[in-house]
Amino acid sequence: MDRKTKTWIEGPIEGPEDPREGLEAVVVLRRTLEALEAAQVENAFVAGWSWAQIAEVLGVSKQAVHKKHAKRIRARYLGQPPGRRGRGA
Amino acid sequence: MFTRFTDRSRRPVEAAFEEARMLGHDSLGDEDLLLGILRADEGMAAEALSSLGVTLEDARDESERMLSDALSSIGISLEDIRREAGDAFDVSLPDDRKISYSPQAKNALVGARKEMRRLGDGHLGAEHVLLGILGNEDGTAVRMLNRMGVSPETLEERLFELRGRAAG
Repeated sequence: MDRKTKTWIEGPIEGPEDPREGLEAVVVLRRTLEALEAAQVENAFVAGWSWAQIAEVLGVSKQAVHKKHAKRIRARYLGQPPGRRGRGA
Repeated sequence: MFTRFTDRSRRPVEAAFEEARMLGHDSLGDEDLLLGILRADEGMAAEALSSLGVTLEDARDESERMLSDALSSIGISLEDIRREAGDAFDVSLPDDRKISYSPQAKNALVGARKEMRRLGDGHLGAEHVLLGILGNEDGTAVRMLNRMGVSPETLEERLFELRGRAAG
């Protein structure tokens, strides 16, 4: 093997063989994480959790969770005001 | 930068943004431009692609498969995540989320304009955008086409064949 074409490390390399795949994986993971957060917040909301409870577990403010998710979830569950489920609203 | 689009190139670009939004791409890649052409073009670009067996459905699936393979390379299964998250899992981006052009997509559109001038065409069409996409030799769209068994050279040849035929 030509010296120039050698990788800087000898022997088996940990991680994906193609650096591009590893980098792409980061992008996909970021997008997936976003979708996953939306899904889990929605699941919690449907299960009757309040925004405050959801925010506490996520480790962010109630306002932040509300701002990020309320509109989308409200649109999906028309006529069921967010945060009022399970309290006779 | 993109002000002189004609309808024939604007529609595929608009469709590309819709595809990106649906697939959860927070920046518009050159593979999305390809999907946009497959979805909205009614001219030579779409004809060249379909004559080589490239359909919108297959291209969407391949795009998804590439992402899924990338995740597998670091030991994560997208399928498992989907299954565990249930029905609420939806990668599509909300309407108010801004999607920007990726460097590859910008490059493809700059390339499209160059192709238009080089060919002496007066209007920017989807075929120029397709040539611009193929100009990204290491781009996501080209890798996607290769995975689908279509080489950029073959596609370019087909496109010029169709152009020659249209010119009579």
